[in-house]
Amino acid sequence: MKSPVPALEMRNIMKSFAGNKVLAQVDLTAHAGEVLALVGENGAGKSTLMKILSGVHQPDGGEILIDGRPMEFVRPVDALAAGIAMIYQELSLAPHLTVAENIFLGREPLKIAPFGVIDRGELNNRARQLLMDYGFDINPRTRLGRLSAAGRQLVEITRAIVEAKRVIVMDEPTSSLTSQEVSELFRLIRDLKARGLAVIYISHRLEELDEIADRLMILRDGRAVYEGKWGEISTDEMIRHMAGRELKEIFPARQAKIGGVKLRVTNLSRPPKFTDIGFEARSGEVVGIAGLAGAGRTEVVEAIFGAHPAVTGEIEIDGRKIDSVQPNVSVKNGLSLLTEDRKRTGLCLNLPMSTNITLANVRALLKGLMLQRKFETKTANDYIRKLSIKPPAPSKHVARLSGGNQQKSLLARWLFANSQVFLLDEPTRGVDVAARSEIYREINELAESGAAVVMVSSDLPELLGMADRILVMRRGRLVTELIAKQTTQEEILKYAAVEESQEL
Amino acid sequence: MRLSKRAKSSESLSMNPELKIKNVQQSVLGDQQPATGNRLMQDWIKRFLPFISLIALCALIPLCEYFILGNDPKFLTPGNLAAIARQTAVITIMAMGMTMVMVSGGIDLSVGSIVGLSGVLGAMSMAPGTPSLLGFTVCLAVGAACGLGNGTAITALKIPAFIVTLGAMGIYRGLALYVSDGNAIVGLPESAGYLAEKNFLGFIPLPLFIVLTIALVVHFVLSNTRLGRYCYAMGSNIEAARYAGIRVSRYQIIYYTILGALSGLAGAIETSRTVTGQPNAGEGYELNVIAAVVIGGGSLSGGQGTVVGTIIGSLIMGVLANGGNLLQISPFIQKIVIGAVIVLAVTFDEFQRRRMESAES
Repeated sequence: MKSPVPALEMRNIMKSFAGNKVLAQVDLTAHAGEVLALVGENGAGKSTLMKILSGVHQPDGGEILIDGRPMEFVRPVDALAAGIAMIYQELSLAPHLTVAENIFLGREPLKIAPFGVIDRGELNNRARQLLMDYGFDINPRTRLGRLSAAGRQLVEITRAIVEAKRVIVMDEPTSSLTSQEVSELFRLIRDLKARGLAVIYISHRLEELDEIADRLMILRDGRAVYEGKWGEISTDEMIRHMAGRELKEIFPARQAKIGGVKLRVTNLSRPPKFTDIGFEARSGEVVGIAGLAGAGRTEVVEAIFGAHPAVTGEIEIDGRKIDSVQPNVSVKNGLSLLTEDRKRTGLCLNLPMSTNITLANVRALLKGLMLQRKFETKTANDYIRKLSIKPPAPSKHVARLSGGNQQKSLLARWLFANSQVFLLDEPTRGVDVAARSEIYREINELAESGAAVVMVSSDLPELLGMADRILVMRRGRLVTELIAKQTTQEEILKYAAVEESQEL
Repeated sequence: MRLSKRAKSSESLSMNPELKIKNVQQSVLGDQQPATGNRLMQDWIKRFLPFISLIALCALIPLCEYFILGNDPKFLTPGNLAAIARQTAVITIMAMGMTMVMVSGGIDLSVGSIVGLSGVLGAMSMAPGTPSLLGFTVCLAVGAACGLGNGTAITALKIPAFIVTLGAMGIYRGLALYVSDGNAIVGLPESAGYLAEKNFLGFIPLPLFIVLTIALVVHFVLSNTRLGRYCYAMGSNIEAARYAGIRVSRYQIIYYTILGALSGLAGAIETSRTVTGQPNAGEGYELNVIAAVVIGGGSLSGGQGTVVGTIIGSLIMGVLANGGNLLQISPFIQKIVIGAVIVLAVTFDEFQRRRMESAES
């Protein structure tokens, strides 16, 4: 399959931002008909490299060759014209347009060409055909904003595939997909390979890469530290290359004593999102919630925290019934929610790290009416050290931190707020391996100190590695409870995904 | 470094600390490199551009007076400077409150109408014989009530502030015209003029003293209190603020009420200046007030803005108007210039912001 001239070659790519070298002479080669897995911790330079490839950034040095011809991408349009398409991690779609309009944005089929009248029927038909071919069950006339995160991601994938001629870059394409959708995507990727495209696949999920990757390239600190056939090195070696050190244990052991009930939820309902949810979480315990995307897991933890009105049922913390369920009451009662979407509901991006860390407990900084700035900086520094947040600069705006460090700042916020019950919704989404294990260690420490942790996650190995008990949700209901030590991914999936017809 | 040669082979555990230290040193050195220096320079320019512009204007206007008109420069005389202070005082007072509202992510288009309504009601309560202080208090209370109304409507109806206050702008102005039957309220006691005319300690114009006091208080609130901290947090990301347990509605209402009260105070000063209650007072002020915040670095999308910036923004507009008069430039042209300055200020801000953002990823 491999042609002698690679579909894409990036040579000696260099890039600095404001004096910080982000990429130092990186070479990348992608052949037609193969999947190149690009891995590395957050901040290793993967995104920058891909943004250079897509014309968002200009390199300080080096060259890009497509089929052996040197190219210059000044704007994203240039890269697109050269046949390079991207699936962005941060979705880049228009929520008010329909699915079909999004897929063909900028390339709408026209009826009366000179007047730019859009042929709506043709647009929808083509979109329907594409979605059907790809096995995605989405109505092209639906407004995009009404789709779930997974649905939007599938639309983004469809659009990129339509655009791709030579190279397609997928940056964490599966972050909100169900396992079934993931296997559809992999089938598509194999099709793309057969069509002679080069696929660059960025992911933190090594199991996923195992299924589709042909070659592997590891970036660390802006340099390519490894390149070779997939499977030549073990996972441990990969992690060592990525982190620059060994990670003996991704899931550290926990010595927590399980005590009294901290959080009790009874008959919690918010139709049609979820009905009749009841469970408890004890001091020292980590309770996992598994389920497919759309099963209602996020809605449940948000409801417990009080982010949505119109919820019926009872919530007890430390045996006391909470009458008015609102975020401000929850925080006062020692409940915290690390939200799924940290940019939308977590961070104040253009404010300093110190402000973000102290936001849920500003009261503790007050002396009379005055905020004590020095104490604030000291507090921030304490948590920066405790969670090894990088860079260790409290005045740095959180927008400039990597995903893992942003997540750690949010965890620090709830530690400083003296929470006793932690609701963690996808706590390691978009977080690199090293930061992940630090977050796991912190979760263990919380449990050991007597807090109760409820953890929603789509990452089954993570749930199996971290939780004591795992609750499985399907279509808004709790279907079973499993002991983490005595179950398997297959069993969880069986409960999470079983078809309605198989039930009695 | 001997160790770094072995970095490619496997045993990186023991050498990891050294590597880290090396990295830290590099980045410390990097701070002195010219590229980072440029960044600092940019930050510096961004921060001080409004101030630099103001100084430049203050130098340019007398020069033009001297060389183009051949007059003795009047611009920098104490009398003229005091006049600028008096002229900009009302706008600046309101802009202090607007800074708060805009930092929190809101906006209030009704402030000009609040000046009119509070002025009329204050003047009506000031029949000859009653102490004028009572009338000024009425102005303040009416303003605060209007602001409270705005804040409550915005949070309760969950409608964008722009729309609510656009409606309120018409409602308050209409009320002012209705209760006064469209006529100026006259026959106020002599003491009604004190607020605008008297000097504090014999030489500081009273409005200037009020502006300075309010500026100090608002600056303190924004940078050193919980009220201010939540203001920036809500403006930066209101959902994040809510999820952090902040009662966003309550704080929004507080910010709008403060702005309303300050607009009422502005109404009191306007009433005192003209010694009448004019139902049309303050018409169009909302645009000058918002412009002052924006020129001073405040952002229409919230999360950004400072008291010092806003004062400078307000002064730039005041100086432009005053200088325009001194240089005998048509007031029509002045309007064009001020409009252009607003667009330029926002453009520059956006440009800088985008540059910073692209440098972040």
